[in-house]
Amino acid sequence: MKNKFSETKVLSIMESLRGIQPAAAPDFFYARLKGKMQPAEEKKTFFMLRPAFITTALSLFLIVNVFSLLNINKEQKQHFSLQNKKPATIESFAKAYDLNTESVYE
Amino acid sequence: MTEQELLLGLQHGEESAFKELVTRFQDKVFNTALGLLQHHTEAEDIAQEVFTQVYRSIQNFKGESLLSTWIYRITVTKSLDHLRSKKRKKRFGFLSSLFGDNNMPVYELEDFNHPGVLQEKKEDAAILFKMIELLPQNQRTAFVLNKVEELSYREIAAILNTTESAVDSLLQRAKQNLRKKLNEFPP
Repeated sequence: MKNKFSETKVLSIMESLRGIQPAAAPDFFYARLKGKMQPAEEKKTFFMLRPAFITTALSLFLIVNVFSLLNINKEQKQHFSLQNKKPATIESFAKAYDLNTESVYE
Repeated sequence: MTEQELLLGLQHGEESAFKELVTRFQDKVFNTALGLLQHHTEAEDIAQEVFTQVYRSIQNFKGESLLSTWIYRITVTKSLDHLRSKKRKKRFGFLSSLFGDNNMPVYELEDFNHPGVLQEKKEDAAILFKMIELLPQNQRTAFVLNKVEELSYREIAAILNTTESAVDSLLQRAKQNLRKKLNEFPP
């Protein structure tokens, strides 16, 4: 069988908050509060300085650079392969440099 | 500084007014949150949230109630919201521990000792606080506001947006429930 509180004990417990003093806020409460409030304001203003933003921006910049470099290389290779397939003739050379007979004697 | 001057200063975003407001209300807010949450660190966090909320929404304060009533109301709402979310976390504690939800321990409430309780009553008060935790939220709020923060029925009625007789009834039921729980509680 469980022991129960006596009626006197119950009364004593019920009255235990009589004369209670209010608890005071911890020391430096205002300073801590201001410290907590400031980052929220800073976040809005300087979001571009956040590491996550900087890393993402740099990664994007690198990806775009690599992609364009690869594209340029590919175009150059295609250009060279076309040139290799069709060896330059005197006519094509003259056409490329606008050296046909009319232009020479103009 | 009168309440009207304080309000005007706050609405103009003056830091001196905000500092004055915090100085005036920090103990009341902290003591109320501590009574409801029974945890020092959590009570400080909630008190900070209360003042942040006051700072952000002071423009919405129409002056229909006293500034103190409005601040107490925010404190009670935030504390009860915190208790609800803690209860939810406890309920899903097993799942969150499996998935490593922000690695925060879901701890049981320890014996709470209010720093304002007289030395010879500390043991009894710790038992009473344990029982208060088992009360329904409206009874718990009314009891804490009355017994820990020592507010009058009128003040509590204004905070809880109810009548003084409703507050009286809440307190009577809270006392009955506490007695009942104490009689069931093994020492």
